[in-house]
Amino acid sequence: MLVAEIEVARRTFPVLADLRVDPGQRLAVHGPSGAGKTTVLEAIAGVVPLRRGLVRLGPRVLSRTAPPRLQVPIPERRVGLLRQAAMLFPHLTVAENLGYSRRGPGGRPAGPDPGWLALLVERLGLQGLLEVRPAGLSGGQSQRVALARVLASDHQALLLDEPLTGQDPALRLELRLVLAELIARRPVPALLVTHDLDEAQAFGDRLAVMDRGRVLQLGPPAEVVRRPASRRVAELVGYSALIATDRCRFPGSGAPAPGWVAVHPDKVVMGAVPAAGPSLQGRVVSVHPSGALWSVWSQLESGERIRLRLPLPVAAGEPVTVTLVDPPLFDATGQLVPVPRWSEPDRARR
Amino acid sequence: MDRTLGAPGALDPLWVSLGASGLALGVIVLGGTPLGWLLARDRLPAGRLIEVGLLGPLLMPPLVIGLLLVFMVGPNTPIGQLLGHLGLSATNTFLAVVIAEVYEAAPYYVLGVQAAVAAVDRDLEVEAELLGDHPFRRWRRVTLPLAAPGLASALAITWARAIGAFGAVIIVAYHPFGLPLQIWTSLQETGLGSALPFALLLVVVALPLPVLAYLWSARARRRD
Repeated sequence: MLVAEIEVARRTFPVLADLRVDPGQRLAVHGPSGAGKTTVLEAIAGVVPLRRGLVRLGPRVLSRTAPPRLQVPIPERRVGLLRQAAMLFPHLTVAENLGYSRRGPGGRPAGPDPGWLALLVERLGLQGLLEVRPAGLSGGQSQRVALARVLASDHQALLLDEPLTGQDPALRLELRLVLAELIARRPVPALLVTHDLDEAQAFGDRLAVMDRGRVLQLGPPAEVVRRPASRRVAELVGYSALIATDRCRFPGSGAPAPGWVAVHPDKVVMGAVPAAGPSLQGRVVSVHPSGALWSVWSQLESGERIRLRLPLPVAAGEPVTVTLVDPPLFDATGQLVPVPRWSEPDRARR
Repeated sequence: MDRTLGAPGALDPLWVSLGASGLALGVIVLGGTPLGWLLARDRLPAGRLIEVGLLGPLLMPPLVIGLLLVFMVGPNTPIGQLLGHLGLSATNTFLAVVIAEVYEAAPYYVLGVQAAVAAVDRDLEVEAELLGDHPFRRWRRVTLPLAAPGLASALAITWARAIGAFGAVIIVAYHPFGLPLQIWTSLQETGLGSALPFALLLVVVALPLPVLAYLWSARARRRD
């Protein structure tokens, strides 16, 4: 198991994290730029020092600030870190980069394990590039080579920082699957950092949401999005607006205590559907296509504007009623109300 | 030219210059490479002070460097006396030529290495460590190859500077004559005609290394 109980000093704010990842488990860390996600990975890899804390990988302590203080040098930690910049060695070919970390007896470079390397090359689309130097690669190709290089190495933990940055959108979707498949063959703890929530959810068995150096919530990806622990987590996992409860029409026994309902653009249906959640009334302000859906800005009766993504277009100026499907509810202090009154009890009643 | 270079002992200055400069270059490379690397990576507690110390010989006229050397390693200084106990002398000896050349040429090499290593992305070195390389192996596999064109240029300049050293050498080691001193004395005593063959000889032995280093370095840069 990888254990990271860390505090790292930074100029703006300290980064704190308490993470545990079992071998074969995948933890995705999601958050905005500057939240401290990369710092967590670098602290585990030993690239940045801890102010306080402990990093342990299985029985091996890698960093410890309590006496007796310990900091295992980077090469001995056997932690693979894929950084945002590809960091390929410019004087080596792609094949030489891929085989860089393979060691034979006595620590001599042994060249890559041919079977595993061939699989990586094939699955990551690197055929035909093996004799090319990094200067001849596109940004996306460089990133894929760097990903293959870290996967080709014999690490006991895998840390991936925005591994799919720079890929074409379509390829990025495919690479998510490839990455999951390749990592599944390596039963080591794996952490992936991304500011792309979809990517985080696709990769992780668990999802940690970070902001300003703190892990705000950690749990199963679907659950974190369905029930964000606070208003800030809700914002970070895609909820685009918070509407006061007294401005919503609640099903069943009426409005809950004063608080806030979070609106997720994708978790809405047209019309009032009391069994699904509270509804809102407003007027369509603007409509434009958004992928296969329609992005609709609607102004509520209370004057607030919310963005929705609907499967069918609506005309600008039309009145509209939408139901927020199973939205999280926050009390006046911004904390999640554990069981919203309109969901489980109503469904149980049905 | 035949008469000048064909005279008995006429090529002695050539052997002195090649021997002293080769030895000086060896000393400079052995000591200057780690020093330049440490300076580039800010690993020395008084790094800035050392840089200033290296700039001194670059900025001062070589004659002044020679005078400073007399005060540092002359027979009446602690270092001179220590050398004396070992049966050595840093005045008017082959050793003195080597010391003067080292002192005059070393800053070019150290500052050249510093610039070449500083140009190597530190993150690439960290990457090598993340992939399992300990410091020496990291140096050999990443830092050295990437800094090599810059190191080659530094080596070429240092060689040219050492073999052509005159100002400091004439102060601390008037004898034995190397080529620069031979050119000077020939010019003074018998005129341009007898100095020119030695000048040509100096060019012939001094140029190949810088030219080769330049060509190799240009090729390496084009390849990257």
